[in-house]
Amino acid sequence: MPTQPDKVEKSAMEPAIRTEHLTKIYGQRLIAVNDMNLQVPQGSVFGLLGPNGAGKTTTLRLLLGLQRPTAGRAEVFGKLCGPNAVSVRAQIGYLPTNPKLPGNLRPIEYLDLLGKLSRLPHQVRKPRISALLRAVGLLTATEQRIHTFSTGMCTRLGLAASLVADPPLLLWDEPTAGLDPTARRFTLDLIRELGKTKTVVVATHILSDIDQICDHLGVMHEGRMIFTGSMQDMKRRLRRDGFSLELEGEIDNIQLLAQEVNNMEGIDAHLGPGQTLLVRIANDRGRSRALAEVLKLIDDNKLSLQAIHSGQNATENAYLQLLQEEEAHGFHR
Amino acid sequence: MDSTDKTTKLTTRMMPYLAILQHDLRALRASRLVRLWLAATAVLTLILALANWSNFQNAPLIASLLFPYLVFPWFFVVVVLGVSPVSGSRAEALADGILSRPVGRCEYLLATWSARVVLVWGIYLLVLVPAIALVTLAKRTVPKDTVTIYGIVTALFLVGLVLTFLVSLGFLMGTLLRKPLLAVVVLIFLWYPISYILSVFSLEEFSPISLNRALCTQLRQPWRQIEGESKVDINKVNQDAVPSQFSQILSVLSGTKPEPKPAKPEFFETEEFDDFSLLRVTLGYGLPTLIAVILAALSFYLRDL
Repeated sequence: MPTQPDKVEKSAMEPAIRTEHLTKIYGQRLIAVNDMNLQVPQGSVFGLLGPNGAGKTTTLRLLLGLQRPTAGRAEVFGKLCGPNAVSVRAQIGYLPTNPKLPGNLRPIEYLDLLGKLSRLPHQVRKPRISALLRAVGLLTATEQRIHTFSTGMCTRLGLAASLVADPPLLLWDEPTAGLDPTARRFTLDLIRELGKTKTVVVATHILSDIDQICDHLGVMHEGRMIFTGSMQDMKRRLRRDGFSLELEGEIDNIQLLAQEVNNMEGIDAHLGPGQTLLVRIANDRGRSRALAEVLKLIDDNKLSLQAIHSGQNATENAYLQLLQEEEAHGFHR
Repeated sequence: MDSTDKTTKLTTRMMPYLAILQHDLRALRASRLVRLWLAATAVLTLILALANWSNFQNAPLIASLLFPYLVFPWFFVVVVLGVSPVSGSRAEALADGILSRPVGRCEYLLATWSARVVLVWGIYLLVLVPAIALVTLAKRTVPKDTVTIYGIVTALFLVGLVLTFLVSLGFLMGTLLRKPLLAVVVLIFLWYPISYILSVFSLEEFSPISLNRALCTQLRQPWRQIEGESKVDINKVNQDAVPSQFSQILSVLSGTKPEPKPAKPEFFETEEFDDFSLLRVTLGYGLPTLIAVILAALSFYLRDL
């Protein structure tokens, strides 16, 4: 059984995951993963963040060897990933989004099957299954067939399934998708607890989850890894002198406003998601005066101001800022 | 290292294969298709036995019971069973559930293939062995026949081999084409005119219809005769047939005109297919089965899940 060394030793060790120029193109048409270079440190709780279709799931499937890279390579604990890399998969516990489970089985039968797939002997398998079912709160559901389970129960069984072989690396894809608040809290607490002894990679687009549990982060956008580093690095990137203005009015007027604000000295503006204008004010510019000028322009453009936000959710703003920068410089790719 | 250690290591090594085999067999047993097939094949066997009970001798009666497996309709069920495991939406589910674990793709493919072969053989023998026992042991108002145990075993083996080939062919098509419905349609178009396809290559003796026709002779074949007298004849048949079939295949594949042959009577008009070489038929179905499984494994290994 693979064991996890102390966190102190881990920093000097090789990364749990390393990819070099990892690329996946589907049918010469869709670039799912684009020249990705990534290092996930051992012992970290790594958040793989990105909007839907960013390439998070494809990255996880490439690591598992379920898909072949078009170019580049991926390694897990120094071993090359691929379809027949059984020794790599022995070190990974995978939880897919909304796991598809065999409905005709009962939880114990399912976990026992997975234990056998991991070549666990009977005397190890049985007590572990029992402990896992207790840990995920499914002890009372052992008589039920899986097809009678709710989404939350399926996810909890999926969590237990990923832990059957006690692997040192966990790849969890949207582990809180479709969960009620209690189940979500349970899952986040579990990740925090497991992160003390294992490397955990959580792919998600839910920023608040990442904020609560991760110490390292990778941001993906349209197949590219646009940021990797610690959470502190991510938040440090945030331009504190920024505002997010929620507007109401014609989109053409908002675009015109963005152009006018950009023409002002020491002020930079980008269109955000929905009808939002993200405004950055240079350090040498008075914030109050600059903001007053922008507000005046809003009136001039026949727009109505709905709300002003300023750095309340550091991670979210940093994330949105990253995506904007990436889109603005997309032609560089 | 003592033998206990070796056994333990082997058991541990084989654990995923056996687990998938067991899981798949269980899932198959619970499927409606398999249950319906079991019921239908039992009913059809009973009807065929009763309908021919007082008309046919043992050998033709047993051959008639084997007919639905060789020709129609059970080949269709067997093909569908072979197609399903690695195609369509199942592929995604199995990728998430099984292939994300420390299991090799070939290991998975072999286990699911074995499960289907075991299931097909199981149902086939479960229905036919009692039926054949009943036919051979019952006192009927027909002239006594000379059906032998050896003949029954080899006839059952040959039909089972054809079924194994069909499962493997379904497996290959399911893996290559990915869409189960498309794979089944392609296989039907391939298997229905198989006699004509085989006749192009002068391989008529391998067609299911000619095999079924020759089963009567095979059922009456005594073990000793095969070992002694007829061995010479079979070798001679093999020696004569192999070069001519080979040159025929080459000429068809290369598009050149084959050597003129003496005009032969229409298919099945002669008595040529009343007998066959057990070895040649075994190889004729065994080798393509092996090739189909290898190609399926290769295709499955190369594809994305």
